[in-house]
Amino acid sequence: MSARDRILGRVREALAERKQEAHPGPFGGWRSEGEDTPAVDRFIQLFEAAGGEVVRFDDDAVAAAWVRDFVSKYDAVSMGRLARWPTAVGAESPELVLKSADPADSDVGVSLAYGAVAETGSLIMTPQDGRRAQLLPPVHVVWVEEKMIFPMLYQALSTLGKDLPSAVGLHSGPSKSADIGQILVKGVHGPGRLIAVLLADKKNST
Amino acid sequence: MSGGSTPGQYRNEAARTIREEPQVRDSVTKATLTFDAHRVEAFAQIDSERWRDWARDVKTHLLTHLDKYLEEAEAQLIANGAKVHWAETAEDALEILAGIVREHGIKSAVKAKSMLSEELRVNPHLEKLGVDVRETDLGEYILQLLGEPPSHIVGPAIHKSLEDCRELFHERLGTPVNAEPDELAAAAREALRKDFLAADLGISGGNFMAADTGTIALIENEGNIRLSTSLPRVHVAFVGIEKLVPTLTDVAGFVQLTSRAATGQPVGNYVSLIQGPKKADEPDGPEEVHVVLVDNGRTKLLADDEAWEALRCVRCGACLNICPVYRQTGGHAYGWTYSGPIGAIIAPGILGLEESMPLPHASSLCGACADVCPVRIPIPDLLVHWREKAVTAGLAPKSETLGLKAYSALAQRPKLFNTAGAIMRRAPLELGGRALPILSGWVLERAAPEPSAKSFMQMWEEGIV
Repeated sequence: MSARDRILGRVREALAERKQEAHPGPFGGWRSEGEDTPAVDRFIQLFEAAGGEVVRFDDDAVAAAWVRDFVSKYDAVSMGRLARWPTAVGAESPELVLKSADPADSDVGVSLAYGAVAETGSLIMTPQDGRRAQLLPPVHVVWVEEKMIFPMLYQALSTLGKDLPSAVGLHSGPSKSADIGQILVKGVHGPGRLIAVLLADKKNST
Repeated sequence: MSGGSTPGQYRNEAARTIREEPQVRDSVTKATLTFDAHRVEAFAQIDSERWRDWARDVKTHLLTHLDKYLEEAEAQLIANGAKVHWAETAEDALEILAGIVREHGIKSAVKAKSMLSEELRVNPHLEKLGVDVRETDLGEYILQLLGEPPSHIVGPAIHKSLEDCRELFHERLGTPVNAEPDELAAAAREALRKDFLAADLGISGGNFMAADTGTIALIENEGNIRLSTSLPRVHVAFVGIEKLVPTLTDVAGFVQLTSRAATGQPVGNYVSLIQGPKKADEPDGPEEVHVVLVDNGRTKLLADDEAWEALRCVRCGACLNICPVYRQTGGHAYGWTYSGPIGAIIAPGILGLEESMPLPHASSLCGACADVCPVRIPIPDLLVHWREKAVTAGLAPKSETLGLKAYSALAQRPKLFNTAGAIMRRAPLELGGRALPILSGWVLERAAPEPSAKSFMQMWEEGIV
């Protein structure tokens, strides 16, 4: 008999006389706070409260120009695979190509989020973009489409659940720790600055 | 060095800590009060009663269907490309790890904070195998440099002050003697970054595991878990069999409730949801993911008609933060991995009842732990449960049994009771007690107040009370 069978056997023996309880149903639907706030506002509120920074743009081209300008201040830049979108960011521009570096050696990383979650203030990072660019540079700039902001975490996870990649990371603020004398420090292992670049939902804007 | 004791030495270790390391009580009390204030605030923002009911019910459902969900999780993980191992004991888990280390020729490992890996004693085993293992959580890193075990489930180094860290980092990393916390963290980041980039094995625990998707969920604030599970080519996750939840959408509830209960955050800064090794369309990530499902006494707890409720635990540390007994000493005095109220009720399952004594007595039964537990574990009831079991098993100390018998004989004879009381009030306990076999332990650890000159009965008759 294998360890697996012995463990399962002990579990079944332990449960033989135990009354089975039903699952209480899905989590959520009873939140008291923030229910009436639009998802994007709630996301910004929580993300900023956790130390994240937010810039919002109605126009993709303006957003791309902002990002290009922002990263050009640094010496080494790593662009996530999907982060070249929108192409207007000009990842192939000669200036940025010159600065292109491995994430381990970069000052700033640029990624595209799958989406975001309002109730937790989280960016949803998927690995197709490259995990190292999301984690190694001290500054992380993340594109997010406002139409992909889910009000609640379980909604985001059940949407993702249909086609899950190897790992999903929820990033809800800059890396921090209070392990040294209970004093908050930023940028311990992950990026010390996390900037969400929000792109307006064109369908809703007039 | 502290931390090398066993639960059996709890009373002496607790007394020693308070006597010889008073700064531990200061640091631990300060940190736990802060943690708890954050929890209170975070719970006030939600319908916390409802969240807690929901979480209790999901875990109860899970535990009463554990065999089915374990099989489902295993099948799903295999479908995701992960490798699943089953470990009945700590030795089995370590043997599985040794097999992976040999197969891949592992030279160096980075470790994300995991209480289960502490329970299994993974680090000394890896060192024996010749693997250079590095704790990467900042608190755990500090403790690894000091050679100490964690003192708290969530904040392993809460018993260390800023001054302690300054001294340590100055000595080991060459930072200035009065470096600010930012400088200290930057020095640790630089040192550990090299380890992250060089390691060929990443080791983690698992806060939750969704059976329907085979997802391992990990909550943290620093990013070291994301790095440990993303950079090395092999990832090994040790997961207790009670960590399962039925679905990934259940995980959505649990990561939020746990974060609020632990640190008062809406959710930890980073949540990793890991399904398996990297896929073809992904540029990086581990090539192999191993999940080790660990029993190590958990089925023993499950078989106990009362104590099985302790398996709902999400390891948030809220019961430690609120506990007036834990706050006096921090975790080391308890003599094993899980300290505080929750540790005392799971110890008999994992260590055995005899080895766990007297931890179920390390409580005043004030009930604060049950009030804060996010999954409503009746901790005080279970402490009493283990105390009763210990008496039945003949594990209660002889002195306690004899003492209670003597008291019972006295209490049934009013005249003798009064005489004994009069003697006790006049006896020079502080001095005389040290010479006595049972009392000496008591008076050496405590400063007793002066006894009253009159008995309660006398004062009652004289109208004083």
